[in-house]
Order: sequence, then C-alpha cells, then structure tokens
Amino acid sequence: MSVNVRTATVIRRTAAALLAGATLTGVTACGKMPTADELVGNTSGAAVTECPVASAKNDKFTGTVRIAWQAIPNADLIVKDKGLLEACLPNATIQWSQFNFGGDVIQAFGSNSLDIGLAGSSPAVRAASAPLNLPIKVIWIHDIIGDAESLVARGGDYQSVKDLAGKNIAVPFGSTSHFSLLSALHNAGMNETSVHLINLDPDKMSAAWTRGEIDAAWVWDPVLSTLKADGGTIVTSSAATAKTGSATYDMELATDAFITAHPDVMTTWTAVENYAVGLISSDEESSAESISTILGNSVDDVKQQFAGYTYPQAKDQSDIFHGQLPGIFKATAEFLKTQGSLDAVSGDYASVLYTDAIDAVAKE
Amino acid sequence: MSDATTPTASDGPTTTDTAPAAPTTPVAAGTAIAGTAIVEGAATAKRKPMPAWMQSKKIQPIISLILLIAVWWAATSANLINSLYLPSPQAVWHAFIEANSCRPASAGSSRIVCGEQQYFLWQHLVVSLERIGIGMLLGIIVGVLVGFLLAEIGWLNRIILPYINFIRALPPLGYIGLLIVWFGIGDTTKIWLLFLAAFPPIVLATVDGINGVNRDRVNSALSLGASRPKAFLFVVFPSALPSIMNGIRLAVGFAWTTVVAAELNNGIPGIGALAYLSGTELNTPLTIACIFVIGIAALLLDWLILGITHLVTPWVGKE
Repeated sequence: MSVNVRTATVIRRTAAALLAGATLTGVTACGKMPTADELVGNTSGAAVTECPVASAKNDKFTGTVRIAWQAIPNADLIVKDKGLLEACLPNATIQWSQFNFGGDVIQAFGSNSLDIGLAGSSPAVRAASAPLNLPIKVIWIHDIIGDAESLVARGGDYQSVKDLAGKNIAVPFGSTSHFSLLSALHNAGMNETSVHLINLDPDKMSAAWTRGEIDAAWVWDPVLSTLKADGGTIVTSSAATAKTGSATYDMELATDAFITAHPDVMTTWTAVENYAVGLISSDEESSAESISTILGNSVDDVKQQFAGYTYPQAKDQSDIFHGQLPGIFKATAEFLKTQGSLDAVSGDYASVLYTDAIDAVAKE
Repeated sequence: MSDATTPTASDGPTTTDTAPAAPTTPVAAGTAIAGTAIVEGAATAKRKPMPAWMQSKKIQPIISLILLIAVWWAATSANLINSLYLPSPQAVWHAFIEANSCRPASAGSSRIVCGEQQYFLWQHLVVSLERIGIGMLLGIIVGVLVGFLLAEIGWLNRIILPYINFIRALPPLGYIGLLIVWFGIGDTTKIWLLFLAAFPPIVLATVDGINGVNRDRVNSALSLGASRPKAFLFVVFPSALPSIMNGIRLAVGFAWTTVVAAELNNGIPGIGALAYLSGTELNTPLTIACIFVIGIAALLLDWLILGITHLVTPWVGKE
C-alpha cells in the first residue's frame, strides 16, 4: 500500500513538473516577441508615418510580403530602417528575414519561404540556370560592386595579380568575390591553378591572415578593413574587373508567382527602393545613420563604405536591364559552369529579367 | 620537481622500475619520477591542511573563477593577445550591458538604439529557451512513448532502433538544409531540428530503463494480483524513471549544442543566431558574451532538471 501511495505521489509530481514546464513555454510562445524598441517604448527610430512617394502608395494590397535582406550597405537597409515599404503598403504585412549568403536566400526561394529577396549576381544566375531553374525573376539592382570587394595582400611586395602566382588566396567560393578573382586571374593571363585558392568564410579570414596561412584575400567589409589595418595593401578590386566586362551586383529577386499576382506591389516596391537610392546622395547623413543602426558600425564607416559601391537609379537600371545585363549574366553563367556550380548555360538570360516596374518608375 | 629523488619518492614501484633505464632514456624516466612526485606532494599537503575558508566547498569554485578572470584580464591588458581574438573581460562585460540596454546610435545622435539586432540579449535568450522548451517537450512525449513501445515489443525494436541510432549520429548542420526545403525558414524547422536532436537519447534511455527493471519486482506485483497495466504504471514506470530523467538531461545538452545550427537562417531573435551573426561581424566581445550567457543558461537548466529528478525519483541512492 505504502509503495502505491509513494508512486502515486511521484506520478503526481511528474505531471505537475511537466505542466509547469509546458505553461512556462506556452506563455510567450503564443505571441510574437516584441522588439526591444516596442518593449521600452523607444520612438526615436527613423520610421516614417507617411509614404514619401505619394504616387506609389498602395492601400489596396492586404496580403503578406516575405522579404529576405542581407547586411550590405545599400538602399534596402534604408527602406527597412525607415519603414518606407510599411508606409507605402499600409494594409500589407511585411516580414523581413535576415540572411547571410545569397546561397541561403536561393535555398529559401526553393522552399517557397520568400516572395522577394536580395542575392548577389552569382547566386542569382545559379538560381536562374539548370539544374535549379527556379521560377524567379531579377527585379532590381541594389548596387554595382566596386572597391567594396577588393583583393588585399600582405605587405607591399604584391603590385599586381601576377605577383601572387603560387600564393594562397582566400575567397568564399560561389560568391561575387570568387567570380571577380577568377576574372582578374584570367585578365592577368593566369588561371585558378596558377595560385592556391582557399575556400574561406570572411569571418575566418583574419585569424588565418594573422597566422600567415593566407597571403591574400578577395573580401568585403568589415574583414577587408581589418586585413588592411593588419599590414595589407589593395592589389585590385571588383571595380577593376567590372571595367573588363565582369561586373558583379547585389540584386533583388522575386518569385514569378508573386510578380504575376501583384504587379502593382512590384511597382510600389521599385518606386520605394528608387526613392531610397536617391536619399543616399540627397541626405547622406540620415541614410548612413539608418544603415549604421542595422549594421552596428559607425556613421563614418558607412559613409566610407558608400564609396565602394555604385547605386544606380531606376533610369540607369532600365538601360542596364535592356542593355548589358543579359550578356553579363551569360558570362557569369559560363564562369559558374566551369566551377561546376550549374549544369547548363541558358540560351537567353533576358527572360529572367523583370523590367515592367523599373521602366514604369523610370518614366516618372 | 627538484625533490623527485627524495627517499619517499623512490619507494613507488614505478620509480624503481624506470630508474635503471634513466641513463638511456632520460626524458621518459624524468616524467615518470615527476609524476610520482606530484602524487607524493598531494600526500604531504594533507598533513598541512589548507586554511578553513579555502576548504569550503562553495568557495573553491568561486576562487577558480576569480583566478580565471584575473589571468584573462592580465593577458589582455598586457596586450599579449590581439583584442580581435580575445577581447578583455571589460569589453565583454560592456558588450553584455550594451546588448541589454538602450544607447544613442552615435555620439551626439538623437537616434536611440536598443539591444542588438533589434532585441535585447535576454529576449534572444528567452526565444531560444522557448524553441528548446518546445523541442524538448515534443522530444520527451514522443521519445518516452516510442521508448516504451520499443522496449515492450521485440520485433518493433529490431526494426526501428537502427533508425533511431542513425538519426542520433547525424550532424545537425548536415541536414538543416533539407529541413529548410521541407518546412521553410520559420520556427517549424528550428523546432524540428531541436526535436530530432533531443528525441533519440530519450528513446534509448527509456528502452534501457525499462529493460533494466528488476523482473522479480514485476512478477511479485503480478502474483499479488496487480493487472498488467497497473504493474506497468506502478512498478515498471517508476523503476525506469531515473534512466528516463538521465536521458532527458543528456537530451537538453544535445538541444543546446544544436541551437546555433537551428538559428543559422532567420534565427533573430535567438541567442544562437546572435552569437553566429556577431561572429561574422567580427564583434568578438558580443560573441563571447553570448557564449557565456548560453553556458550559464545551460548550467541553470541542467540544475533545474537535476532538481526535478530528485523531486520525482527521491528514492535514488537510498535503496
């Protein structure tokens, strides 16, 4: 009998403990976690209350837009920080999800978790080619990568790419930097066997640099600045390879399904991004502050980073989309094919470009 | 080490064995003698007891912590190590405070920024704890049920158990991509991953626990007239409970080690995601602050589970 009483108590206690645990997790799991600003009532944020592009305001759309963003200093972060899209699509639900690499964004498109998202030109071309052939279109160029991605080498002995023959060069494989590096090697009459290429994520580069395991790296900020400060000198940059026909971009992609269903939202989105690109030159201080609050660096750092990119407005984009972009995509695809990143180069990359919204905004 | 040749040290059989070999292999002999000397040193220390305050079981871990921080502080303030690789304790503390408070975006700016990545550090932790809690809860429910079935039905055990062991051996980073393609980038994927990390150890512990139940106890309950379900509920289950609780404790550990992998994509808010993102931004003070928070939270959770274990299995160690 006493054994029975004891075990019954045990079971009751177990049940009570489990119940307590369940309620504890249930309390907060039901509602979404409020942000720190909402929690302390911080209203010093930069969010606008009125849509700054009155003609683009769209209050008919009541659906959800799932957006992928990346920590790259361009106008997309201004749109996010100032809440421009939320103001111009007042009845929509905007979901911003952060990604670290274009490859992850492509993966999320593949799982149908996104409507629009930011990726570099290399991942974008990979998504639009076999075997993936994702139903997506390129809708916008956030920036043309210039000195923001550069080849930095140890000491002052390396004047040109040729001097790096046989040296260890780190680069994240599949990235826009990888593409630029191979283009630079090609332009110098070398190929990828002339140097020792090492696949390394940017955040692991500074440790390898200090230990002398790499002699050079093609990389972006904040690692680029760190390596420069640690005795590195710039050999060449993506601005130089862009001049030889191998330009790299950060672009926005959207699913065919979303574009077909909501062409009006695409126009609003494009007009808002175009307005934010204009802000970078018209109100550099506030733009840099918006970006620095998201990136967690200083306003001055962001202003310096601006110089490493070109931010084309809708008018220029219209020319690029109808002009050189299909050819650049084809060249990028051919490069990716030699890397084994894709199976076949598509015949025509003009078909993966969505220009209706850009053309409409460019006319205004 | 200089007293390695004292008469007491040469009493040990190891020393007598290696001593003749000393001229040919001086290094090996040296280490062997030194090893004996340490043991002897410990023995002599017993004769001269430590001061009472140092013997207190509560003080000892605190002393070790203070020593660790002092060495860390000394090494960083003497600029022995690049602050990018090991920031000073003050920098880590500053990052921890900043991540839990509001501050101006830049000097003189009217813009106030709160927390890191839009959330306070404690909010990141709470969200991760929630994910671990839900994953664990599902892991416990499914794991214990599956464990009972596998322990009671032999043929099912032979069919299913290899799969459980298979899942157990998989590295989470290897299949997170697959889960994202199946379940998207939302919380479903993260909870699935934590569940898959937590449930195999619970199944195995449950099977072990039930297989280890003393058959005499079950048979005596049955012969005294207990029905099979009753014998199961009041004899088998309580006897297996210590093993199950042990499995849960191990499973929480696996869930913690999986949390960064689970939060790599779209993990904000989440402490694993914050640790990872701050690393990619070379913000090492914040990364270390996150690691400390994760470690301390894991210790507290482990302590809580131990408490629950003592509560529900008070007889363990007293039989």
